[in-house]
Amino acid sequence: MNTLIAIGAGVAVLGALGAGIGIGIATGKATEAMARQPEAEGKITKALILGCALAEATAIYGFVVALMIIIMLK
Amino acid sequence: MGNLAKELMAELECETVFTIPVLGGIGISESVVVTWIIMAVLILFSIWLTRDLKVDHISRRQAVAELLVTKLTGLVDGMMCPEGKAFVPYLSTVLLYIGISNIIGLFGFKPPTKDLTVTLTLALMSLLLVEIAGIYYRGIKKWAFQFVNPINVLDLFTRPLSLCMRLFGNVLGAFVIMEMLKIVVPYVVPAVFSVYFDLFDGLLQAYVFVFLTALYLNEAIE
Repeated sequence: MNTLIAIGAGVAVLGALGAGIGIGIATGKATEAMARQPEAEGKITKALILGCALAEATAIYGFVVALMIIIMLK
Repeated sequence: MGNLAKELMAELECETVFTIPVLGGIGISESVVVTWIIMAVLILFSIWLTRDLKVDHISRRQAVAELLVTKLTGLVDGMMCPEGKAFVPYLSTVLLYIGISNIIGLFGFKPPTKDLTVTLTLALMSLLLVEIAGIYYRGIKKWAFQFVNPINVLDLFTRPLSLCMRLFGNVLGAFVIMEMLKIVVPYVVPAVFSVYFDLFDGLLQAYVFVFLTALYLNEAIE
């Protein structure tokens, strides 16, 4: 049973994959935009940080679900 | 390994500190006590800052107070539409509270936002504020009419849930990683990581919470 719980928690954290890809794409585009228009750096950084925080939420949900699986099923 | 897990579980639990002996005993948990500490610090700091204010020949303390208020309200003001100026004080207060409770881990307290009930309360307060503002600014007929669209009904549940879970998960995740680091490497290394996990991430999540509430508010009152 313990092994199954551990596997379930591990699978739940796979959600972090999406957050990684999303933040990577967002940062890449932001760098491109900054290279094209260096004067808009402030605005781009603000939008980037906000977008990253929102994209990160997916990974966080995965983490919360994994934690709940461990705590509830034990 | 089992020892580490046990230590972690002990850190995660939000124990009841003491019980008020009325109505069969009201349990006061640790997050409430830390919230009281934050409230006391904020109130005392504000009283100290706003003593004998003048119009001209201002003291250095008043200059600092004016700078803080202008910056904070300016930050929140930038998120709100022009009709929503009335909500700026509330949102800046929430920003201050969440910001301080997220970085209070630096001083050795357990952050209150690590407790699910605290973040759930904050999210429900946001939901109430948004809906009441919608009724007040648009009239009850127009407000009720938006629920013809089932997506809007769904939004009633998903918005507070995502607000609450985002804040809780972020603070809890940072807390767990920091505790693990402290157990594995007790010296120097946690200090470096706490700059990111406690300071940067904590303040960012406070900003994101207030920004999303402002976004919903703008949508509700337009």
